[in-house]
Amino acid sequence: MTETGKPAAAGGIDPILLSVLARAFKAITDEMSISIERTARSPILCEAKDFVTGLYDGRGRMLEQTENLPILAFSLAPVCKYIIDYFGDDIHPGDVIFHNDVFSMGNQNNDVAVFRPVFFGDRLVAWTAAKGHQADIGGNVAGGYNPNATEVWQEGIRIPPVKVCERGKLRRDVWDLIFANVRYEIVQEDMRAEMGATEVGARRFVSLLEKYGPETVERHTEALFEATRRMMEAEIAAIPNGTYAGEGYVYYDGKNKDSKYTIRVDVTVKDRAIKFDYSRTDPRTNGFVNGTYSSSASATALTFLQMINPDIPHNEGMLEPLEIVIPEGTILNAGYPAATTFGNHLCPPNADAIQRALAPVLPDRVTAGWNNLLCSLTAGNDAEKGESYVDIMFMGMKGGSGALNGADGYDHIGMIDASGGVLDQDYEMFEQQTPHVLRKHEYLTDSAGPGRWRGGLGVETIYEIGSEDTQLVTFGDGDYEPAFGLFGGGAGGLNAIKLTTPDGRTIVPLNKDLIRGLPKGTVYWQQAGGGGGYGDPRLRDRGLLAREVRDGIVSAEAARRDYGLGD
Amino acid sequence: MGLKIGIDVGGTFTDFLMVRDGCEPAVFKTLSTPEDPSIGVVNGLRDIAASLGTTLDALGPMIDVIVHGTTVTTNAALTLTGAKTGLITTEGLRDALEMRRGVREERYNNRYANVPPLVPRYRRRTVRGRLDRRGREIAALALDDVRAAIDAFKADGVEAVAICFMNSFANPAHEQAAAALVRAAMPGAYLTVSGELLPSVRFYNRLSTTVLNSYTGPKLSRYLDSLTARLAALRFGGVLLIMQSNGGVVLPDVAQRTAVMTLLSGPAAGPVAGVRYAEAHGHKSCVTVDMGGTSFDAALVRNGVPVTSHESEINRYRVAMPSLDIVTIGAGGGSIGWIDEGGLLRMGPQSAGAAPGPVCYGRGGELPACTDADLVLGYLDPDFFAGGRIKLDLDGARRAIERHIAKPLGLSLEEAALGMYRVINTNMAQGVREVTIKRGFDPREFPMIVAGGAGPLHACMIGQELELPALIVPRESSIFCAAGMLMSDLKHDFVRSCVGRLDVAEWPRIRRLVDEMTAEGAAQLARERIAEDRRRVVLHFDCRYAKQYHEVTFPVPLDALQRAEIGRIRNAFHAEHNRLYGYSLEDQGTPIDLINIRVQAVGITDKPAYRKLDRAGDDPAPALKGERRIVLPESGREQVVPVYDGDRLQFGNRIAGPAIIEQVNTSFLVSSSYDCVCDAYGSFAAYRKDRAGLAQPMLQVAS
Repeated sequence: MTETGKPAAAGGIDPILLSVLARAFKAITDEMSISIERTARSPILCEAKDFVTGLYDGRGRMLEQTENLPILAFSLAPVCKYIIDYFGDDIHPGDVIFHNDVFSMGNQNNDVAVFRPVFFGDRLVAWTAAKGHQADIGGNVAGGYNPNATEVWQEGIRIPPVKVCERGKLRRDVWDLIFANVRYEIVQEDMRAEMGATEVGARRFVSLLEKYGPETVERHTEALFEATRRMMEAEIAAIPNGTYAGEGYVYYDGKNKDSKYTIRVDVTVKDRAIKFDYSRTDPRTNGFVNGTYSSSASATALTFLQMINPDIPHNEGMLEPLEIVIPEGTILNAGYPAATTFGNHLCPPNADAIQRALAPVLPDRVTAGWNNLLCSLTAGNDAEKGESYVDIMFMGMKGGSGALNGADGYDHIGMIDASGGVLDQDYEMFEQQTPHVLRKHEYLTDSAGPGRWRGGLGVETIYEIGSEDTQLVTFGDGDYEPAFGLFGGGAGGLNAIKLTTPDGRTIVPLNKDLIRGLPKGTVYWQQAGGGGGYGDPRLRDRGLLAREVRDGIVSAEAARRDYGLGD
Repeated sequence: MGLKIGIDVGGTFTDFLMVRDGCEPAVFKTLSTPEDPSIGVVNGLRDIAASLGTTLDALGPMIDVIVHGTTVTTNAALTLTGAKTGLITTEGLRDALEMRRGVREERYNNRYANVPPLVPRYRRRTVRGRLDRRGREIAALALDDVRAAIDAFKADGVEAVAICFMNSFANPAHEQAAAALVRAAMPGAYLTVSGELLPSVRFYNRLSTTVLNSYTGPKLSRYLDSLTARLAALRFGGVLLIMQSNGGVVLPDVAQRTAVMTLLSGPAAGPVAGVRYAEAHGHKSCVTVDMGGTSFDAALVRNGVPVTSHESEINRYRVAMPSLDIVTIGAGGGSIGWIDEGGLLRMGPQSAGAAPGPVCYGRGGELPACTDADLVLGYLDPDFFAGGRIKLDLDGARRAIERHIAKPLGLSLEEAALGMYRVINTNMAQGVREVTIKRGFDPREFPMIVAGGAGPLHACMIGQELELPALIVPRESSIFCAAGMLMSDLKHDFVRSCVGRLDVAEWPRIRRLVDEMTAEGAAQLARERIAEDRRRVVLHFDCRYAKQYHEVTFPVPLDALQRAEIGRIRNAFHAEHNRLYGYSLEDQGTPIDLINIRVQAVGITDKPAYRKLDRAGDDPAPALKGERRIVLPESGREQVVPVYDGDRLQFGNRIAGPAIIEQVNTSFLVSSSYDCVCDAYGSFAAYRKDRAGLAQPMLQVAS
């Protein structure tokens, strides 16, 4: 009874084992993810879950990932392949490799990855990896968002593939070199948390191989890739052949006031393949508002994946039918040695371009515009605890998603790059970890784009800054152009941040800005806008509308004006 | 006379197991009475009285203990039929309950909607008043705001109130002041105060748990009051115990205050029972499944302990209380078959329940349910359902399946019924995958313990889909959870936050908190009539490395606490952290923070001893009661198969599938892929035909 069911015949595929393995891979990366969530220090990791864990085969092909943020979904596998090429034969049991370099397939300087080769006997059989957004990575500005940067060295330390452990032994010299360039000690602890997760994953994968044998697992892995690829191809085949164009807009590059850039995509569907071509996109900026190939291709893939069967497994087979062309030198793939920290946040306008392109042919799959990201980060000293802190205002930045045909947008979900994966800080944990006092965090009345299906609601956030000489960085967009409506639906609301110092001074930061020396008692106010609506608001269910008026999320005035209530 | 009775109220049936020293356990089953479940309970007690040759009035004084599981709170949370609840919370934080921290569980599914909040926005009232992170007052509580909330609630007919203020875990004063006003102004309302229920940091967890408690509390309270009154009228003078989600039992008044701990009251007994049946076959681990009239529960037992979690969700609502890890899906004998927009046959989650019930019950049901398909396929005997007490309407079942399934899909009647049977089996197999494969375990490594009235009819096909080598159908399978309830210990969980560095911890204070909780536990256990030598105290600390966000819960030996052996406690933490997360920071000398102290007070109960049967021969012929034409589930072909009387089968009898084993309250369909032996406890152990080698160990272990 303790033995398993009959083994698959030599060379054969056991369908039950196939689904057991697929789920077991998922259980491994989930467990790695829980390991980081539960052990990390920075709220960016343990509360907002800005990290990804993954499992790859010996050749670096994706077996499974746990993507707390979809934007990180495709940021590990290319690096894994790069590392395999880079070290060649020089990979040994007990090695641990760090990487963040955006010019060797990394996606953002602060996203530092750990790769651990997994050996079965003396054979390299797999890689486990984890990548999380670190609280600091050196550079000019604490926290890494430096809106004044023009080249990568002003943003942080570059870590091309480097072994921090060699054959099981920590290389203290390498470790110290890296962390001598990073401001906060907790980053060391958080990198240990990532290393711990890769160890957990490695243990679990080896025990899988012990149970089923490496050949059986490999054979079933190939079958899994094949099945996934066929599911993807079937989805693509259902879209009419043709080329569809769309645009999305980026406002302010951090350097030139009122600057605006356009992302242009041409989506070509031909039978069972789909191509996203960004050749007509505007050139790169001379600031930090630039993408890397990894971050931009992730944005493209996650937007498309939301339009198809959400149950398709995320492994190598899923990627095969997708072709993503992003020429170097464009804002989405700036090239060496551009500053690129903002790159992940070019996802919203990129997604806008894709939704607009495909709306005519996939009207039941696309969404109206999502609220764009406008985020802030504070850093300072918590006098009562005698400790420094850095905090990203996750709960304040999460607006609503776009509506689609048959479904309202999701309230307070946040940017499409996270799609509800970045969580609000727990309010009490926010006050435990920073000296700030939260005054308000509520849905914002009338923030949703009206429509037969309304956009998701945005939120209003107010807190009191609790440290002297506080540094505040903003990064984002969505304060010029609201989330767009579709097919008669209305636009969502704008993003905004405003600061009021104790002496009554009002400061309105730009959407990419750095403000130093804010005094204790400064009141921070932010609104995150709602998503765009879909369809004619006059067709909205009246019972639903009445309840929303009762609950105060749609004002009586807006119900008349936007929805024609009482007409 | 010393009767012990386990009572499990399900969506469709109420199950009873009666145990007397030196006698065979006896099984009873009545239809549930959802409008007031205590009516069904009394109906069953009447049957028990009759079986003992006495009257209901005379039965009460004969009963020592009743252990009771109820789905009252579960149903309220799943079907959103709990109390009309009002929330009083801190100004500016009105929407935390509904936002659920802004999560969308399905990242890639844009049609995935949020769950409706248990308290709609207009009944979420905020009040001025604020404590800081250490519990110091920043702004005094505005009592007028509380009064305004109370006035609005009263005008609106609110029956339950939840109070949850920011940072109340560090200082209960504001919550207590507000609670005093509510108690005075709304004496009849059910009130939950967050700091009393769950005095630990994390606002959303505490808020959600507090609201769920108030939302489900009134229904549970009314129900338990009604039950207690009915039992009192029967001159019941024994102890009534209520099953909790953590696998333990408590007195009714405790359950009434912590309703949220009964969300898994019914199913939590399943894994507890599963441990015993698996052990009888020499297994430390097993999967338990329970298919009743409305729902299907699956759980995993590993190394003799049901898998437990401290943070779970019901219907996507957070519950930060200890509970067994059970997956529930809407599949049961009452599950209704229907055809979706794409023309696909679906089963459930809508259930015909007990009223009107499946069509074949003849109680007004019109839509074809799983039991109707089982009947049409020949798996049930229309004249021997519930031992013949309920005559099943075969023609009605045929007509309903013909009209609603067969005709629209262009199938024959049998094809349609078999389709219903197969679809629901696939749904249930998915539930088993959730607790095994999804957590990285291969279900083929575990025996599956099958329970519930409808479970044994479907078990072999679930087993076939998952290639399970062995299934065990206990003789008491139809009332499995009721049996588990009689095997449960009393359990009371307590928690106190005590935040600080472990190295410089105030040991006298910690010991005082532990003593306090231990004394509370001892007082509870004394009221529950547990002798001192049967009380156990289990101590856990929640610790974390400095600056971490989340804690590791690990056991702390009581003597280590008494002697303040901090080194042992520290090492236990490092070891557990390393086991869970792949590393420890022992060498770095990172300070350790203590966050919570948890005490579980356990009262060991007497477990009923089951009698072993005498070994008989292989031949089951003496128990053969007839034969019946059925549609074989694997092939769809019709075949005449033998029908055995399960109550007359003896230890050692072997039955080759396909066959049917009938008992009064359940039937076991041994499909063509399995054979079966009757073990020493009268349980039916089935094993795949291609694994015939399993039969012998099953008999040996049991003998």
